[in-house]
Amino acid sequence: MGSPEPLKKDPVTSTPPATGTETTTPRIGVFVCHCGSNIAGVVDCPRVTEVASKMPGVVVARDNKYTCSDLGQDEIVKAIVEAKVDRVVIASCSPRMHEPTFRACIQRAGLNPYVLHMVNIREQCSWVHNQEKQRATEKAIDLVRMGVSKAARLIPLEAREVPVEPKALIVGGGVAGIQAALDLGNMGFKVYLVESKPSIGGVMAQLDKTFPTGDCAICILAPKMVELARHPNVTLLSYSEVEEVKGYIGNYEVKVRRKSRYVHEDKCVGCGVCAEVCPVKVDNEFDMGFGKRKAIYVPFPQAVPLKYTIDKENCLHFKTGKCLLCVKECTNKAIDHKMEDEVLDLKVGTIIVATGFQTYVPMKKGVYKYWEYENVITALELERLLNASGPTGGHLIRPSDQKTPRRVAFIQCVGSRNKKIDRNYCSRVCCMYAIKNAQIIKEHEPGTEIAVYYNDIRAFGKGFEELYHRVREEFGVEFIRGRPAKLSENRETKSIMIRAEETLMSKITEREFDLIVLSVGLLPSEGSKRIGKTLGLSLSSDGFFAEAHPKLRPVDTATDGVFLAGCAQSPKDIPDSVAQAKAAASSAAAIMFSGKVKIEPLTVEVDESLCVGCGLCVEQCPYGAPELIQNEEGRTRARIIEALCHGCGTCAASCPQNAITAKQFTDEQICSELTAALSQNGQAKTAGKKAEEGV
Amino acid sequence: MGEVEKTFISGLKEELVEEKVIDESQLDPNFAKEIKKYGGKDVMTCLQCGNCTGVCPISLKIDYKTRSIIKYCQFGLRTYTLGTRWVCATCYRCYEHCPADINPAEVMIALRHIAVREGVIPPFIKVAATNLVRYGQSVKPDEEINKIRKELGLGDIHTFSPDFKKVLREISVLIHASKYDKLIGIEDEVMV
Repeated sequence: MGSPEPLKKDPVTSTPPATGTETTTPRIGVFVCHCGSNIAGVVDCPRVTEVASKMPGVVVARDNKYTCSDLGQDEIVKAIVEAKVDRVVIASCSPRMHEPTFRACIQRAGLNPYVLHMVNIREQCSWVHNQEKQRATEKAIDLVRMGVSKAARLIPLEAREVPVEPKALIVGGGVAGIQAALDLGNMGFKVYLVESKPSIGGVMAQLDKTFPTGDCAICILAPKMVELARHPNVTLLSYSEVEEVKGYIGNYEVKVRRKSRYVHEDKCVGCGVCAEVCPVKVDNEFDMGFGKRKAIYVPFPQAVPLKYTIDKENCLHFKTGKCLLCVKECTNKAIDHKMEDEVLDLKVGTIIVATGFQTYVPMKKGVYKYWEYENVITALELERLLNASGPTGGHLIRPSDQKTPRRVAFIQCVGSRNKKIDRNYCSRVCCMYAIKNAQIIKEHEPGTEIAVYYNDIRAFGKGFEELYHRVREEFGVEFIRGRPAKLSENRETKSIMIRAEETLMSKITEREFDLIVLSVGLLPSEGSKRIGKTLGLSLSSDGFFAEAHPKLRPVDTATDGVFLAGCAQSPKDIPDSVAQAKAAASSAAAIMFSGKVKIEPLTVEVDESLCVGCGLCVEQCPYGAPELIQNEEGRTRARIIEALCHGCGTCAASCPQNAITAKQFTDEQICSELTAALSQNGQAKTAGKKAEEGV
Repeated sequence: MGEVEKTFISGLKEELVEEKVIDESQLDPNFAKEIKKYGGKDVMTCLQCGNCTGVCPISLKIDYKTRSIIKYCQFGLRTYTLGTRWVCATCYRCYEHCPADINPAEVMIALRHIAVREGVIPPFIKVAATNLVRYGQSVKPDEEINKIRKELGLGDIHTFSPDFKKVLREISVLIHASKYDKLIGIEDEVMV
């Protein structure tokens, strides 16, 4: 990573020139937004404007119905030019929403974009104080007074540009990761796809058919997997983990650990002779434990890359030091038990996180007896049992006696919409996969009696409602509205009785079934926590990665240059995952096509004359921005790598020497805000109170 | 009507259940708030999944649907639950299973508080309260109980011992001080 040059003490803008400097008296313009009735419904905006117009340094104050509209922005530009304004205060919504809009706006009026201060009188005032209009108005005035006081001390700053590496890293090789990789590869960018499992494909590869159309999942996914593996622009790093990510937008440095397969990928041709002779048989996790695999294996026949992997935990050679039957049989000499992990260093410009999900595992002592009764299975287990390439060749059997079940029940919302286990969200796919599986069972065995115990059926997508109709009308699947209360097993037949209130009839029902399928919800995948920490991504309350804005930036994250795709962001079905992957690919491409990116100048700077080189800032910084260097006099001093700095101010607050200053959050600026907050019409509030009390 | 039903809700059968149309005048949007005031959780979060009814031991004996009562509470159909609110045994099984984390048992208790304050008190409550004043327990002690106690090798029931008079007096004072006697209408029983 190239270290940027140290900052000059007082950055002076070049484009466009700042009209305001330290010597002249600031001329402040205040613009108060009604935001329709969002603010004006609570806060008396004209009064706020009137009071603001009399504040020190204010030369113009206006209020506007919608400040962010074209008209509103034009008015700001006009006022700035007419009144020769050189500092701007906009009292409206959170800066997270419109700061970029207004920066561009004042830039159009010829000002430096950083002489803008936004005062939040919506989220932090009108929305939270909607019951107290009078006091909300007072608070808004106080907030504006603070803003005006700070604006007078704003310093123009200049944004810097850094080049962008035209390469992308994609974490996760499910359908979302595959799609994003293909799109970026097709656009001509170099792509690294990192997948932790031996094969790409994700959960979609495990499914039987997909709703609502009934396409075979692997049949539509496998061509994409193969295309990806053959793509000249894509490097597929399967059985690998992202270890470390450093850097910033356009210039990420990534360490990827290639876990040892004990089989050389370049030599293995996937003939499978090794697996034939391997004497160790274990449960295949791909088949959810129903099928068996060897200790040297590919998880499923269509695996990409079709390279064998030795499972170290079960391999006889690793246990006893003997065996080596596979080595003897392998004609290409691909197997090497002494192979070691390899760490790759990659440099990429953008990152797409597509770490997917895992399904909810029912509780050990839960009501639905998943761990006690053999014939209670999860939906993903059912998918494997229905799958033609699954352990039963697509014949549905029940685990206790391997017989075809005549009566099957689905229980919905297992691990979703349940406050007790802190899973408040809807997993969005369970209704439809249960309906789809009900149809498949009916197609295989038309005589099967099927009941779905549900709370609400959510058939919201394209073609979903039609499928819901079809299973009821054509296939006669029963829908029982009620959450099962009790499951009890008949010890002889191993069939299970479900007691539930049919809430629409207001009657308690007791019915026996041969097989119970739990429609388990979706959780963030286990590995996503680590990658989230590495990248500094924040989580939503449901535990999935948080997008930068729920409506307008649905694939972006708070970390620039990092995007989300698929179930890593929230539970979603295949069409939505693919759509989001394409969106993430296009967002990443937009940055890489332009070749350069602007870096926010709201960073910190170190006063070398005050710094003693204690290194506290280096320890505190969550982004690794400060580093210790030897200056010309040979003394240890801290220096900030500007491109890494997010301007959070942690180092500035912790510096014992006060040597670090956060730009636009200097002590002087913050103190002036506080003084303004504590004063009323120029007088200290506390003093006034004391006078009232007669102190 | 089964025996249990007779004992608990005789004279308090919901009058309006038979009505074919519920009009607006019967709804009370503030009922949920009132329930909260008396210690119930927010009934509005109920998903109406019916899990509470399914696990309820009482629902197997009489026509009692926990879920329906919560639904009536959501609508504010105050008189619909006059009788059934008294049958809950507060075993808290519904609470254990509720995915919306409501506590139906405590909603029932809140409903009873509301009923009593409105003066709708089933006879057995008066009986139990009277027993409490007279004997220091809600179940009336008799020779039958003493016989069982003897068989089990226990002494006479404490109510009959002369030392217990002091305790009974204390109970009376407490009941009077908390105005419970007035609320239930057993002032005559309480000697203070």
